[in-house]
Amino acid sequence: MNDSLAIEASGLHKSFRDVRAVRGVDLRVVRGEVFGLLGPNGAGKTTTLEMLEGLVPPDSGRIRVLGMDWRDQGTAIRTRIGVQFQSTELDDKVKVREALEMFGSFYPRARAPAELLRLLHLEDKAEAYQRRLSGGQRQRLALGLALVNDPELVFLDEPTTGLDPQARQGLWELVRQLKGEGRTVLLTTHYMEEAEVLCDRVGIMDRGQILQLGTPRELIAGLQRPSVAEIEFLGSAPDVGPFAARWGKPVEAKGELWAIPLADAKKDLQSLLGCIEVLNVPMQQLHVRRASLEDVFLQLTGRSLRD
Amino acid sequence: MNARIFWQQVKMGLILYTRVPAALFWIVAFPVVMLLALGTVFGGNDGGDRKLVWEQSGAPAPADALLIAALSERGTAVEAVSAADAEARWKGGKLPVLLEGRDGRYSLRINNYLVGQAMQTEATVQEAFLVAQARAHGLADPARIPVVMSSPGGHRGGPYAAYLLPGLLGLNLLMMGVFSTGIVDVTLRAKGGYKRLATTPLPRYVYLGAQLAVRILVVLIAAALLMLVGALAFGIHNEGGYAGLLLVQMLGAACFISLGYLLASFAQTPEVYSGIANLTFLPLMLLSGVYFSLDGAPAWLQRTADLLPLTPLLRVLRAIFNDGASLASQWTGIAIVTAWTAALFAAATRRFKWV
Repeated sequence: MNDSLAIEASGLHKSFRDVRAVRGVDLRVVRGEVFGLLGPNGAGKTTTLEMLEGLVPPDSGRIRVLGMDWRDQGTAIRTRIGVQFQSTELDDKVKVREALEMFGSFYPRARAPAELLRLLHLEDKAEAYQRRLSGGQRQRLALGLALVNDPELVFLDEPTTGLDPQARQGLWELVRQLKGEGRTVLLTTHYMEEAEVLCDRVGIMDRGQILQLGTPRELIAGLQRPSVAEIEFLGSAPDVGPFAARWGKPVEAKGELWAIPLADAKKDLQSLLGCIEVLNVPMQQLHVRRASLEDVFLQLTGRSLRD
Repeated sequence: MNARIFWQQVKMGLILYTRVPAALFWIVAFPVVMLLALGTVFGGNDGGDRKLVWEQSGAPAPADALLIAALSERGTAVEAVSAADAEARWKGGKLPVLLEGRDGRYSLRINNYLVGQAMQTEATVQEAFLVAQARAHGLADPARIPVVMSSPGGHRGGPYAAYLLPGLLGLNLLMMGVFSTGIVDVTLRAKGGYKRLATTPLPRYVYLGAQLAVRILVVLIAAALLMLVGALAFGIHNEGGYAGLLLVQMLGAACFISLGYLLASFAQTPEVYSGIANLTFLPLMLLSGVYFSLDGAPAWLQRTADLLPLTPLLRVLRAIFNDGASLASQWTGIAIVTAWTAALFAAATRRFKWV
């Protein structure tokens, strides 16, 4: 047992009827870090999370949360963790302040509703029915309910799904604040950008397994082709066929641009320019960027995250 | 700690009830409305100023005067109208009875949609006719068999509202269980509400206990209001012990709240649930004799109804409320409801899923 670990899980399996949702997940989350489980819908992120939250017993495998076991220390674990779900789980006619008070009453020690309202920027919504809140406000309330017991470990399931960019920024700010307060955060997301910005470490999940673990930088640096050249066109891109044949390495055509992963930007760029010259490709712009977690997922699975 | 959570949950549950007007209407106001409406419509007018419409064509016969006198002695005034008027009023559909008199010969037309009201008038007219005939022949008035309206227990000769009120008390328990409890359970589970609670240290029995307490409190408040309205509007009172009445209502509440949770365990969405709930509610209600006695129904149907939970529950409630019966005298009905409660509670507990 390791005291510096907030979560220690090994060999997790879970099937629902004939669907094998999680197939052998090992996970260690260090105290104080923000860890992201990253993957498309149906990758098994939520099931993994629910096993760690003690909601779903694994078919096999071992879980320790804050050094304790769900099977005999459930109540002790529950008093020290906070959980936020994707869906709205409250009665429509509960007011914001009442929800915070009610959830606070479940714990031996709870933060004052006023303090949480201030933290969440919901002071002027204290007496509003939760049904009347905007998407971002509702997510912040859900986060507030997860923080009501001053938890050491916070689980966030897709905290920004369905939010507009501004609301997403607000939530990111709150997550950074949690980390600043020394809490451990385990979140799931299917936004690669979110994982890159927020997480100290990420695990890329697909089809019930964690394909790769590491800091966003490590994962990107570990790619065979850590840079991406993008050729933009005015209007839609021409047929990529002749170019792909001449180039001989992967090219991804997406709408108005071609994305070309590069193994070594210095060398590959020259031959790329050569190809463009010879074929007289009618390009508008060419730029080279660092690969993203999006590209990591693509290269690991051969599929794009958004499919 | 748990007691504090319990009371907080009960308080919150009651507050939420007051914020959902539809829930309050069905449980608290609906029985009162039914009592006032049905109690008034079917209340009859107790030998007061009944009026008989009489179609007279041609000149009045001498016998007519005797009949009118005999009717008026029996509290029934006669309104004579022309044939054309009588036909128009009959077609209007509101006349229960029309007396037609031609040259000393009478016939009664009875509206078969309004048999309940018509039968009383008809009996009076027949009696008055016999009296008038006897008098025409210089004989003494014929005697009739005296009639006493009374409930089966014999203590009360009260109005229809007195039959209805205990029925509504019982029906309300069924509505609370099947509609108010089940639908909330399904909705909360579909929303992930139970899942969210399961991640907190809130003990499940505290949560469910508070839910039960809120529902029983609401249904008892509704019962108190209904009884108050019954006393003020119709002068009907509980003839039996309040402790017994309370105990039977709590038993009924436990029975039907268990039923609600059990039905809810078969539905994933509120839409599916309302189908299941109606399929259960309607036969139970129709076979229970809430509004009318099932005496006219086939014997096999009555025997079936006797074994369902609502029918014996209503019989026990009526025996206590109307006839002041003791709990002991109602043991068969109580035993049937208790058996249902035990079975439903066991099944609901077994199937209840928190996550």
